[in-house]
Amino acid sequence: MRRHIVLVSIVLSVSALAYATTYLGALGPLGFDTRLLAKLFLVYAYNPGAPELTVMSPEAVTSIVWDFRGVDTLYETVVFYMAIVAALAIYRGIGYSSSGVRGAGLSLIVRVVTKILIPMNVAIAVSIAAHGHLTPGGGFQAGAALAVVSVLLAVVFSALSFGKLGVSLARAVALRSAGLLTIAAVVLAPVAFGVATGIRGFLMQNYVKLDSPLAFPTHVSGQLISGTLIWLNLAEFFAVSFGFFVIFMLLSLREDVVREQLGEEHEH
Amino acid sequence: MRRYVPVAVLVFAVYIVFSGSVSPYDLVIGALLAVGVSLAASRYLVRDPSKACSIGRFARLVWYALYYLTVAEFRAHRKVIGIILSRDMPVRPAIVRVPYRARGEYTVVASANSITNTPGTVVVDIDTDKSLFYVHWIYAEGLDPETAYENILKDFETRLSRVFE
Repeated sequence: MRRHIVLVSIVLSVSALAYATTYLGALGPLGFDTRLLAKLFLVYAYNPGAPELTVMSPEAVTSIVWDFRGVDTLYETVVFYMAIVAALAIYRGIGYSSSGVRGAGLSLIVRVVTKILIPMNVAIAVSIAAHGHLTPGGGFQAGAALAVVSVLLAVVFSALSFGKLGVSLARAVALRSAGLLTIAAVVLAPVAFGVATGIRGFLMQNYVKLDSPLAFPTHVSGQLISGTLIWLNLAEFFAVSFGFFVIFMLLSLREDVVREQLGEEHEH
Repeated sequence: MRRYVPVAVLVFAVYIVFSGSVSPYDLVIGALLAVGVSLAASRYLVRDPSKACSIGRFARLVWYALYYLTVAEFRAHRKVIGIILSRDMPVRPAIVRVPYRARGEYTVVASANSITNTPGTVVVDIDTDKSLFYVHWIYAEGLDPETAYENILKDFETRLSRVFE
């Protein structure tokens, strides 16, 4: 008998909630009014009809992040860069030591599943980066997705696996720097081109402006690449993913090794 | 050469499915990525190229997946649903030793995951030196390793051996 009461009350309450949310507007009015600010971004993100105002990318968020407020993102990238420089400075001279440990990692089951997942993880990260100007995502998100690989390596296969796979701090720093240099090159290219040709060009200029005809190519054989956005996304992908690699590699250093080497430094 | 095919196909398929696009742009990037990742990762993933590229083995893997997702899952669910719905909770939980015969790591791991993903049994640990799974069994039919093997592992391992061994 009590079961029936429970059953009936569940059915009744779920039905009442479904009815209230669907027909009585219990969740309040849906926000159908788009604010003017949002409308402006939506109208101008991809708009070949207004070339001096548009970004030529249908992804409004990436348009904002790398063009409308591009300099802000540039400084965010620099802040991230400085944070990694600081981490490298703190850990300077401390290397991986494989003495006395086997580096067994987790069980066979976790290791085999993870080694199949890592190539898939790389494919997904590259897809997020390569579509940053078309769909939600972009360089930072893709970099964070790829950085998962470094955590998986450290946790599942042990931190010693970096050395066995040829992933070194120096290489990660080099790849991150290559990404940052590419960003700098893309940012400075319109200015350099302008100086060389006598045409006015702006820092981070993506597409034509009222007083400047310079523009990065928006299409390559019919494929939309949205000017600077694809290059900035791909470069940011490298800078962020290998920046995170550096951080996670440093964090996975053995505490006793770090203490020992820091201790030596304090004594001198 | 054949060693690189399986990983390349996997990476290309994941890239295309995740991107949700077959535009020339994605086909080119997907192909380049597949080649690059396969060159780097194949030596860790593919030990025997003739097995990895065998159409027959792949067909048996697809057949196993169909069998597992329908028949094996249905059987396991029916047992556990029976336990949940009955009033007196007929459980006899135990962690049992289940010896595995397979040598290949893909067979061992696929067997372990098959056991874990069916309700009622969970592989809680593996001892590769003694070739043992430690399995939590919600209704232990018996505690000796052979009974456990017959009831929990034999069916999966036999079928997966035809795929991977």
